[in-house]
Parts: sequence; C-alpha cells; structure tokens
Amino acid sequence: MYHDNGRTLFVVDGHIHLWDARPENHRNEYGEGFIRCFHDYQTALSPAEHIWPFEKFCCYGKETLINDVFLEGYVDIGILNSTYLYDFYRNGFNTHQQNNVLKQEYPDRFILNGSFDPREEEAGLDKLRQMAEEYPVQGLKLYTAEWRDGSRGWSLNDPWSYRHLELCDELGIRNIHVHKGPTIYPFNRDAFDVHDVDHAATDFPDLNFIVEHVGLPRLEDFCWIATQERNVYAGLSVAMAFIYRRPRYFAEILANLLFWLNEDKILFGSDYAIWKPKWLIDKFIEFELPEDIQQEYGVDVTLDVKRKILGANAARLYGIDIPARQKLLQEDEIGVRLAGP
Amino acid sequence: MGDAQPPAFPVDRHRKVLLERLDAVLDPEIDESILKLGFVNSIQTDAGHITVELHLPTYWCSPGFCYMMAEDTRRELLKAAGVTDVTVRLKDHFASQAVEAGVNSGKTFSEAFPGEALGDLDEMRRTFLRKGYLKRQEQLMRNFVQLGLSFEEMSQLRNEDLTIQREFCRVRRPTGQLSRVGPAELAARFFQRREEMGHCSSPTAALLTDLEDKVIPPDQLEEYFVNARTVRLSLEANGSLCTAMLQSRKAVERRVFVNLGSYSHHERES
Repeated sequence: MYHDNGRTLFVVDGHIHLWDARPENHRNEYGEGFIRCFHDYQTALSPAEHIWPFEKFCCYGKETLINDVFLEGYVDIGILNSTYLYDFYRNGFNTHQQNNVLKQEYPDRFILNGSFDPREEEAGLDKLRQMAEEYPVQGLKLYTAEWRDGSRGWSLNDPWSYRHLELCDELGIRNIHVHKGPTIYPFNRDAFDVHDVDHAATDFPDLNFIVEHVGLPRLEDFCWIATQERNVYAGLSVAMAFIYRRPRYFAEILANLLFWLNEDKILFGSDYAIWKPKWLIDKFIEFELPEDIQQEYGVDVTLDVKRKILGANAARLYGIDIPARQKLLQEDEIGVRLAGP
Repeated sequence: MGDAQPPAFPVDRHRKVLLERLDAVLDPEIDESILKLGFVNSIQTDAGHITVELHLPTYWCSPGFCYMMAEDTRRELLKAAGVTDVTVRLKDHFASQAVEAGVNSGKTFSEAFPGEALGDLDEMRRTFLRKGYLKRQEQLMRNFVQLGLSFEEMSQLRNEDLTIQREFCRVRRPTGQLSRVGPAELAARFFQRREEMGHCSSPTAALLTDLEDKVIPPDQLEEYFVNARTVRLSLEANGSLCTAMLQSRKAVERRVFVNLGSYSHHERES
C-alpha cells in the first residue's frame, strides 16, 4: 500500500522472482552468464545504494524478498512469474514448485504463475493439467526464448502452442504473461519478434496476454499489436527501471504506451530482484511527464493513471476485489508487521 | 615480427584511417556507430594485420547482430589502404568462438552456424536499414516541427531544399526563407541512408518519402511522423539500455579509445 497525502494506492507488482542462481545450481557456463547479465541490468540502472554484491544477487532468500517487496516496497500482492531454465540450472531458476512455498505461507500476498512448454507436445498438456490440479496457479509466464535440448525457442503460434492455449482456456487460466525482452534465437530473425502474440491474441479472445518488458527492443511492433488487440496488455518491468538513469526515455516510453494503448492496459512490474519495487515506486509517484512530451503526445500521467498502473489494472485482470483484499492483508503476518507494535 | 616490416604509412595517419573505417560500422538495431557506442575494446596493428576486439553490452547479445557487426568490422577495415588481414575478436560472449571462427575465415552466417541459422542475414539487414531510415527521418522532421514548419510545408520540400553548410544544415522553406535546422550530421545521415535505400537523389525529388520512396501525401504526413516516432523511440531506448549495460560491464576497465567522438560523419563528409 502506498500512502499519498491521505490517499492510498493498492500495489500489485506484476513481476517478481525468488531465484536460486548459486554456482552449485549451475548446469553449465550459461547459468553463470545468465545471472551475470541480470546483475549487469541491476548495476546499469539502479541507484548506487540498491546495487547488491554479486553473491547476494545469486541467492537472496525468502526473508529478503518479503522485506524488499512487502515491508519496504509498498507492494500488496506480488505475481510470481516462474522461470525454469533447466538447460542452465540443475534445479531450475525459480520454478512454480519452489515459488509455491511462498504462496502457501502467504496465500493472499502472492499470485502463483506456472508455465508450459509446447515442445513437450502431448506430455506438456498432461503436465499443464497436473500443474493446474496440484498447484494454485492463476496465470502463466511463458518464456518463448527458453533453450531446450538444442532448440533455441518457440513461438506462441506454433500448432502445439495453440493446443496448450486451448487447454488454458478450458482450465480457466486466463492471464498469460509472455516474456518479450531480449532473446537470442532463432539466429537469423529479428530476435525480438512479438508478432506471435498478435496471432494468439486474435485466436484466443478470452485469454489476456500481458507482454512483459513491453517487447522493449521492438516497442513499435508491440504498440501496433496492442492497439489492435483488445486483450493485449503492457507489462512495464524493465521499462520501469529507466525511470532513474534515463528519465526522459522512460517518459517517452510511457507517453507512447498511453498514446497507443491506454491507461487501463499498463501494468507495473519491478522484475525483483533485478530492481526493488521501493525505489521504482518512489520515483514513479514523484514522476511527472515533461511538458513538451505531454503536449506532443497529448497524454498525462495523473495520480489516477498511476493508481491504475500500480495496481488497479492487475487487480481487475486477476479478479481481485481491492477493499476486501485490503482487509485480509491487514490481518496476515505481513500486515501485522507493517502495522507495527 | 613487427620490426621487420615497417608500416606503409605513418602510424598516426594509419590510426585515423582505421578509426574512420570503424566509425562506418553500425550497430544495426541502434543505428549508431559501434565506435561511438563504445563497443570497440581495442585495436592492435602488426604491419598490415589488424586485430580488433569487440565487447558488446551482454553475454547474450543476439548472435545475428554480433555476426553482422563483426563481419562489417572486417569488411570496412579491409578497405583501408595497407591493411592486408583483419582478425575480429569478440570478448565475453556465449557464441564468441563460433562468431570469430566464422567471420575471420570469411564464412557466411549460416555456414558459421550450421543447423542453427535458418538463413542468412540479408533480411535482417534490410529490416534495420529501413528502421534506421525512419529514425533518421523522424529526427529531421522533429527539427522541422520545432522550426515551425507545418506538415503541409514539409511535404513540399525537395532534396535540394535541405543543404549542408559547414557544421549546420539548412532548409529552404516554400516561402524561400532559409532556416538553420540542426547539425550537418542530421542531414548527412539522412541523405546517406536515402542513398543506401536506393531512394531518388535528384535535387528536385521529394525529400520526405516513405520506405518505398513514394511521396507521402500532406494529410498523411503527421500520422507517418507519429509512427516513425515510435520506431525511433524503440531504437533509442534500446541504445540507451545497451550503453548503460556496457558501462556497468566495463566499470572496472578503461576504454582504450575514449575520445573517438571527434571522427564523426559530418567531418568525413566535408
């Protein structure tokens, strides 16, 4: 909960992780390469006091997350976007099985998102069914760039992806977060292609597609798609972090999103532990769109727009009744700690 | 072995030529010189053999882009007089071995990554040539807007109306009035890309044409500008992220050439 001059803003962090990237979990050199790259992201865009030593960054643990996200970070609900990467990490990077420990401990504080991999074909469908039965999964996080046995990724409009999305529809898993940030393969294509989202969003009108990192390297393609597809949303993680070191780019990105989409289709995300929600939200609340950008784009970032981006939009997608949930949250362990003695 | 073969020309001159060649190599998706972006880590010369080490913003930079930049680096340096051989090194990248082996033996991308690359890089090159065109065009139009030109006026401009005079570029408005638009580079880079795109270079041809070199009707020019703005923003945001990433990657190192910015496009043009 963010308090602003008597007004409170309900905060849903649309993108958080609790990963294990300790050396003993690395399967190969890519495990180290991957986490170093994440650490470079943190170093590149965070205020100096929020840059962690590499060792801590590899494994920070549950308590650190609870503190950074909820106790200090204003967040009411965190969405755990599970990421597997078994080709790089022996036990996975942060799987839904691991994330479920947090979900069980603080059921009202977390949304647990699972995943599927269409390359598993029929077996993947069984796994998806089983996951939905055994875990309180409310959405999915799809990572189309994931390596797997020599394959360097997949597309949302592959035939087996469609079979999986049909099953999501059937199981009532409606919110599909898709990682569309820097990817690597296929080698010779525009490696950040977001066009597969366009096909899937058209063919699955009852599913919501939240494009994480707003397809950043291909922001323009994302904007064309999201303008046409009613069920495509912008996940602000990564883009958010520009707010400190590159505030003008952040302003332009946000103005651009408000111009093409609208204030109801943009979701806050920190991508914790790369960046901490506290400083992102502090900066965001202070943030004002520069006047020339405001005029050029014809949009504004009012407190009401911030309220929607920070939580109301995600709450709507996940069917969260904000006042009712606020009451519950006051009573859980974190709520009690927040209220203080 | 360097002492047996003295360089064919004075070292300083050599260095300047090499830097100019490197400045012509662009990061395709950011549409900026790899030199200005700080991707060139070191240059070593041994008579006519040049070894260049590139250091890109992340361990995961797309191999296709890496390959393009490494290939272009080699090709550009080989154009310089006195250069007989070029070796490109790629520091700290997951595919550096394959990229280096491929580029340094003159292989195509698909030969270098058999079974993994679905084709060659031509289509990707074309895509980014076009995006870069939109970016350069948007920057030019933005300056026109700031000067107070209407989209109607802009649509009447011909190639000859945009001219470079020393360090600035100027536009002749439909009224005949001459106004300073911005640095010479703004026009030079736009004209250069028009040429690379195969757009008409006749002095009387329309200045602001679309990707297919068709004239944009005045009533559609603003919409065109808004679309191009999103492309420019996307490329710039990318560049911004890449340079920030590179800075943090290099935090403990010192860049070999810090003051390369002086070898800019407009200096070469004049």
